[in-house]
Amino acid sequence: MQYHTANTDPAQTAWSQYRRGLGSRLRALRMAWIDNSRYFPLMLLLPVLIFFLLWNIIPLLWMVGMSFYNYSLVTGMPPRFIGFRNFFDLYDSYAVWGALGKTFIFVFFAVGIETFLGMLLGILFWGSTQLPGRRLALTMLFSPMVLTPAATGTFFRLIYEPTFGIANYFTTTIFGAKIDFLGDKFWAMPAVLLVDVWMWTPFMMLITLAALGSVPRAELEAAEVDRLSWVKRFWYVVLPHAKFILMLGIVLRTIDAFKVMDLIYQLTRGGPGNVTEVVGITLFRKAFEGFTMGWSSALAVITLLIAIAFTSIFLYILNLRRRVAES
Amino acid sequence: MQTGWRQKIYHLALWLVSIIFFLPVVWIIMGAFKTKDDLLAIPPKIIFSPTLANFTDLLSRHDFFSSLRNSFLISACAVFIAIVVAFLAAYSFSRFKPRGSDFIMFVLLTIRMVPAAAVVVPVFLMYTVFGWKDDFWGVMLFYAMFSIPFSVWILKGFIDGVSPRFDETGLVNGGSRMHVLFRVILPQVRPGLIAAFIFNLIFVWNEFLFNFIIGGKKTTMIPVSLVSGSLAQGGVDWTFVASLATVYLIPPFLAIYFFQKYLLIGMTFGTVRGEV
Repeated sequence: MQYHTANTDPAQTAWSQYRRGLGSRLRALRMAWIDNSRYFPLMLLLPVLIFFLLWNIIPLLWMVGMSFYNYSLVTGMPPRFIGFRNFFDLYDSYAVWGALGKTFIFVFFAVGIETFLGMLLGILFWGSTQLPGRRLALTMLFSPMVLTPAATGTFFRLIYEPTFGIANYFTTTIFGAKIDFLGDKFWAMPAVLLVDVWMWTPFMMLITLAALGSVPRAELEAAEVDRLSWVKRFWYVVLPHAKFILMLGIVLRTIDAFKVMDLIYQLTRGGPGNVTEVVGITLFRKAFEGFTMGWSSALAVITLLIAIAFTSIFLYILNLRRRVAES
Repeated sequence: MQTGWRQKIYHLALWLVSIIFFLPVVWIIMGAFKTKDDLLAIPPKIIFSPTLANFTDLLSRHDFFSSLRNSFLISACAVFIAIVVAFLAAYSFSRFKPRGSDFIMFVLLTIRMVPAAAVVVPVFLMYTVFGWKDDFWGVMLFYAMFSIPFSVWILKGFIDGVSPRFDETGLVNGGSRMHVLFRVILPQVRPGLIAAFIFNLIFVWNEFLFNFIIGGKKTTMIPVSLVSGSLAQGGVDWTFVASLATVYLIPPFLAIYFFQKYLLIGMTFGTVRGEV
């Protein structure tokens, strides 16, 4: 800024006066009830608490309350209190245990494969700073995870389509057999898993890159000077630093895989039969196709408890990391 | 380290991996430029003469514009409200640590960890009773609520990184609380704000389930019209789906191209920092 030259442009003068005015106005915005209040921290929290009350506490209480009722939107009967019977029913339900089992299989394979592939890719991309067009390449690589499952499900329905889909074009030319990926009882789960792996391997790769980036350069150089073998370098130098971020990534991915719903809904709607019916789908179907609100609320309460357990694990690892970083 | 042809092969391999991951998306974009016959051809056509007919068809559908407008309006408003609210709360959590703040942070995180299908049941019941279904404010404020936890987590992490001395200096020199908040702290947590903004925007832009359940004709966003287009009775309208998907793709794609360095913060609730 040149202060000594006379400013003749009237518009600019007006602007600078306005700017100065704005600054002092903000400074003068000294509302005693804000500045001197003991409750200032609470005032800041108030909007969040209002949101919280309206969209979390009320629905939560509603859900817990509803789980003790027999309430179906189809019959039009008023809700009837039945105590814990919904929960006993859940415990006895073959569908719920089946769904939990399928969710477990889905989470296990999805997270396992994604972690493995993601770590491989992360290590592969570790030295990629010189890559020409790196930004575009990474954008292409990361794009699967920022696309909505509703859209990717649609893409893959087109790709898996039994008559004109490109996946079947390859299977017929290579193996000479048509496979109805999403309609076959055996293939439906692997096909869904493949889409999830496609979507989330980049995430694990991103996590691996971050984890590798957290290893101090000096220690890596020391390892190179000492001529440690690659295995030892990974085990003794990289892993102690990288493990927390990797664990955080794996837990986050586990939670997300447990939550999966719209992807499978869009791909198979839980079918054929119920081979891909994970918990989210069961919940959705019972609530919005069967309209048994009481029963679904009970199942929702159970999934909420599972989610709380997952969150605790996540925070435990986070605190572990912080403690190690501080010591 | 590596030089010459070894590096070239390495780079080639990296590009190959990226392209393989992008292929399914390319296939859809190609589909958007095909005629219906080309799209449904057996065997699938890799080489075809591109046409813009699908897009002109898309533009002639009035529900396309309404869902595009809804998507933009709802995500922008919801995220803006969420960020403002979250910034105030994060400042309070970070500086004053009111009693129970750990618990609230935990609950906020849990909200994002619960399967959406479990959250949607009570919200559906509540919205039906209150009559908020298919209401712009109802849907938009719900998304604002859904963006808050994530923003609070990210912003708290960033505000923790700003020394409280800045606050003290500001107050001692005669600045008001608001001055300290918006003129001293806010500019220093800009990366956090950007990360929170972009990732909530992507999240709301992508959201399907809640929009499907608590939305309606007036509040349909793009993912829902995609799904309803693909679940249509009497066969899927594939050209419509492919061209709508192509339009839908553009904002998230641009977002991660231009804000790549925030990707990591965005995907991990701000708990992991670093460059990729």
